[in-house]
Amino acid sequence: MNNKKKFVLEQKWIVLIIVILLYGFFSIVSKEFHKTSTMVMMLDSTYYVLLMAIGVTFPLITGGVDLSIGTGMVCYALTGGYLVKFLGLPSWVGMLVAVSFGLIVGIWNGCLVSILGLPPFLATLCSCMITRGLGSMMAHNFAVPWPGVKEPGGWFHRIFKYTVGSGRRASNYPVGVIVLAVIILIMVFVLNHTRIGRYTIAIGSNKEATRLSGVNVKIYHIAAYTISGLFAGLASVAYAAAVPTIQPGTGAGLELDAIGGAIVGGVSAAGGYGTVEGTLLGVLVIQLLKTGLPFIGLEANWQQIITGLVLIGAVIVDVIKQRKAALVGD
Amino acid sequence: MENFKQNPIVKKLGFNRIILCCVLVVMYIMFSILVPGFAGMSHIMGALNYAYFLGFLSLGVTFVIATGGIDFSIGPVMFCCGLISGYCMMSYGVPTGISLVVSMLIGLAFGLWNGYLVAYWTVPPFIVSMASMNIAKGLASVFTKTQSVSWPRSQDPAGWFRNLVKAGSFPTGLFLFLLVAVICAVILNKTKFGRFILCLGDNREAVRLSGVNTKKWEMLAYALCGLLVGIAAIFFVGAYTTVQPGYGDQYNNEAIAGCVMGGTSMAGGSASIAGTVIGVLIISLLQEGILALKMTKDVQLVITGLIVIVAVYADVSARRRKN
Amino acid sequence: MGEVILQMKDIDKSFPGVHALDHVSLDVRAGEVHALMGENGAGKSTLMKVLTGIYKKDSGSITYQGKEVEFHNTRDAQAAGIVIVHQELNMVGDLTVAQNIFIGREPRKGFRIDDKKMIEDSKALFDKLHIDINPREKMSHLTVGKQQMCEIAKAISHNAKIIVFDEPSAALTEKEIEDLFTIIRDLRSQNIGIIYISHRMDEIKVITDRVTVMRDGGYVGTLITKDCTKEDIINMMVGRVIYEKPKEHSMVPDDAPVVLKVEHLTAGKMVQDVSFELRKGEILGFSGLMGAGRTETARAIFGADPKQSGDIYVNGKKVEINSPEDAVKHGIGYLSEDRRRYGVVVGKTITENSTMASLDEYMKGPFIDKKKELEITQKYIKELATKTPSADQLVVNLSGGNQQKVVIAKWLVKNSDILIFDEPTRGIDVGAKNEIYKLMNKLAQQGKSIIMISSEMTEIFRMSDRIVIMCEGRKTGELRIEEATQEIIMDKATRQMN
Repeated sequence: MNNKKKFVLEQKWIVLIIVILLYGFFSIVSKEFHKTSTMVMMLDSTYYVLLMAIGVTFPLITGGVDLSIGTGMVCYALTGGYLVKFLGLPSWVGMLVAVSFGLIVGIWNGCLVSILGLPPFLATLCSCMITRGLGSMMAHNFAVPWPGVKEPGGWFHRIFKYTVGSGRRASNYPVGVIVLAVIILIMVFVLNHTRIGRYTIAIGSNKEATRLSGVNVKIYHIAAYTISGLFAGLASVAYAAAVPTIQPGTGAGLELDAIGGAIVGGVSAAGGYGTVEGTLLGVLVIQLLKTGLPFIGLEANWQQIITGLVLIGAVIVDVIKQRKAALVGD
Repeated sequence: MENFKQNPIVKKLGFNRIILCCVLVVMYIMFSILVPGFAGMSHIMGALNYAYFLGFLSLGVTFVIATGGIDFSIGPVMFCCGLISGYCMMSYGVPTGISLVVSMLIGLAFGLWNGYLVAYWTVPPFIVSMASMNIAKGLASVFTKTQSVSWPRSQDPAGWFRNLVKAGSFPTGLFLFLLVAVICAVILNKTKFGRFILCLGDNREAVRLSGVNTKKWEMLAYALCGLLVGIAAIFFVGAYTTVQPGYGDQYNNEAIAGCVMGGTSMAGGSASIAGTVIGVLIISLLQEGILALKMTKDVQLVITGLIVIVAVYADVSARRRKN
Repeated sequence: MGEVILQMKDIDKSFPGVHALDHVSLDVRAGEVHALMGENGAGKSTLMKVLTGIYKKDSGSITYQGKEVEFHNTRDAQAAGIVIVHQELNMVGDLTVAQNIFIGREPRKGFRIDDKKMIEDSKALFDKLHIDINPREKMSHLTVGKQQMCEIAKAISHNAKIIVFDEPSAALTEKEIEDLFTIIRDLRSQNIGIIYISHRMDEIKVITDRVTVMRDGGYVGTLITKDCTKEDIINMMVGRVIYEKPKEHSMVPDDAPVVLKVEHLTAGKMVQDVSFELRKGEILGFSGLMGAGRTETARAIFGADPKQSGDIYVNGKKVEINSPEDAVKHGIGYLSEDRRRYGVVVGKTITENSTMASLDEYMKGPFIDKKKELEITQKYIKELATKTPSADQLVVNLSGGNQQKVVIAKWLVKNSDILIFDEPTRGIDVGAKNEIYKLMNKLAQQGKSIIMISSEMTEIFRMSDRIVIMCEGRKTGELRIEEATQEIIMDKATRQMN
């Protein structure tokens, strides 16, 4: 009777083992990979992908998806950065605007899906276009650099990376790990122990039954997309810290790393099941591949191909398991 | 209004399509007033150049959407086709004709791969699309070593393929596009393939339980889409010469937009080729008009996004009223 | 019996094309078990959906605890103390038992859902009902019977004044039904009003105080259970409609050739080592409780679901059936219990649906021969007396009975010899039901062989030449119609569970 539970646990552990194996493999093959600087570099780009992935886990669990997170994140970073760099507002205002912008787009997506009843991938694909256009418009088509680490207003970099010393002897502490750990703990709590999380799962599992149980499904459906938008907003801050200059018109394709991470981490593409910790591990798999592949002599472009294949592979493994389970009768 | 809707001629043509045609005409008049000289040939040709490749993409994705699926890897796949076949031609001296075939074959291969995963492995279409998008971009970049590829100019002997788009001042492309559209319409409405994909878009299980090999037909819908994407690539390079690796996403949305505006339902089961053609023309005209108004591409992205939302909502709410 | 706490008066409700409720009245007293009876499609479930706010009534009044009320959704109704234990289970499979019972009203400590309290409360609830279920178990891991018990527990936990049981016993074993009755008696003694919907005449006599009968969306009458006989109730339910006569003996000669032979078929948990034979011109009834594995057996034979082992012989020849495509090639046709999901493509025309299985025969070169297609469709519209303005009508606009005829037409156009009818009259009104029966008999006389899965005992007796009984995925009996009685069938249908 406990087959499913066991298999779910397995999936999480399997991904963990893959993470360890990948790390071990790249470390053995390449000495460079093992260096702290490589790790810090990898972490820099992991923060924003992970934040997006945590957010998108919620719409995925409802059985939907949010394709607007990639272009959205760039759009929020452009908007916030424009305020800071070109209008001279303090960084915290820029960050607040970026995060709020994400929140608003999240609510908008939620309304399109939940109230208007549009198919999620289509609604968010439109938002993907719209945020891409809006981002460029907000920044008046300029590439936007947020303040650098040492510039006034550059303090936000230290949320993710604390630099001690300067020049060659500078050492970087990836404090973002702690920040992310706290955020992950909070979201694990939200998913498992609050009504938002509970109903997110319930909507993905059986929306009609949830509605008939007297749950206001519409609100909670919107909430899932709002979380996704909010986290894309948070990711935009991490993105601004990781990328020196934000280019308008980019961002398409970044959502794949996040959604792919969540799926690889065990979120069911059909909805009804998923965990935040699984998403974390899934994102690590993708990020390790991205960082590690160049070290074994595969040029950067191969990452894209491999990420795509890994994503398909993860879903097919899931399909095979489900087919087997269906045949055994549980 | 109701009387007008019930008129047999209107019914035959489709009320929505008549409205779309009106929109097209109104847009044209509006841009002509706003932009001096818009009514001239150059802008019409500009809009048509855009309409060709977008049209083929849109026709292709119409079949996929008819099955109730989606393919938003078509833009990057089109670029992949254009890049790889162009690279073969420019760097390895492959003759033009063969390059064109290669482009179509690459599109077909992607279509088969997408369809195989969706139909036989029940991988959700949006995941397949995302993966293929990345694979297409990656493959193209690896193959071309991240260099952009420029196809031969029309003066070059190898540039004869440009006659497919425009021979002198004659818009061959328009006729080829309309010809393919008519073929697509026949395929969709008169053949077994069309019948089955429309039915399975409505209720896959019922069709399967009627003894139809739904997997095969579903995969073929994606394959046909892929082939048309390969053709779209030819018309893209025929009009715009240069393809850059790593791009192409934006055309997904515009192609899907054209299709959905034309009355193809995202829920699957109903599709209109004529609608798709008009939808594509509207979007191309919009693109040309917005550029002529000295606005940026961004404005168009936002407008197209909003248009799609409205179009899909119209479809969703019409369905809701019916039930 | 206490005072009247719920009075529904002159309730009227129409759907496009169907007058679902025609001025129906019902009153329920505190501390009574009130049976609501009627054939399938009589409007019982619709009436209950109007009561609990899922449907909006067109006219009429609902008076509850002395006040006129109108609930806008199930939540309102629940809050007022009216809850329904649904026929279709309304469970969120990915949540645990406790999470399901308290969904929508989880006890909380600040933001945090108090799972511990929820589990304790569920345990207390189960103890009170003498049910043994682990509240931490995932709902999708429970048997259908246990899920039903959870539904009941959930209903009771709402502090309900009125509880509606919509065919609760359909999926339960005898032991579970006894437990259920204990619970119901207990609730009755607590002055709760209970509406009990069921088809099983014996249960009605055992557990209920009064009976209200509905027919074709209309109100027929209310009786006091102990003052009436089974026959009284049946007469009220059936009304004037004259059914096909029940079969007294098999119409099939003993030497009729075997057209379908299934040997040791196993497919998943629900189909275990099933073997049987079907003869030419025979109607073979498949009887059993809900979840006995009859539909799964049919689907495995038809290739709709994968099978693990077992052989299938058609006309004496062994055949490989791995997909519906294979099955159709061998002349098998399947009419699903769920027409809208598995039978018809509702957004398409009658013509398109009719030729779905045999489109290859209606081609002219690469194109579909629309003229020929139309001819054959019109032929079967006439032959099956399908009520429709034209062959171009979308199936969505047809009534249930006529949709069923379209599915039958599909297999007749294909000229299939072996037809599997899975609950052929579910959700079809009484008149159309009778037509379907006539049609099935006619097909059998023409030499088609029919497997009929049915949960209605009367239907099984009326139609079958032979009866196969299944229980928990196994065949537990096979009877000739001459030797079958309700008691024997019920006994075999529950044999393995006790």
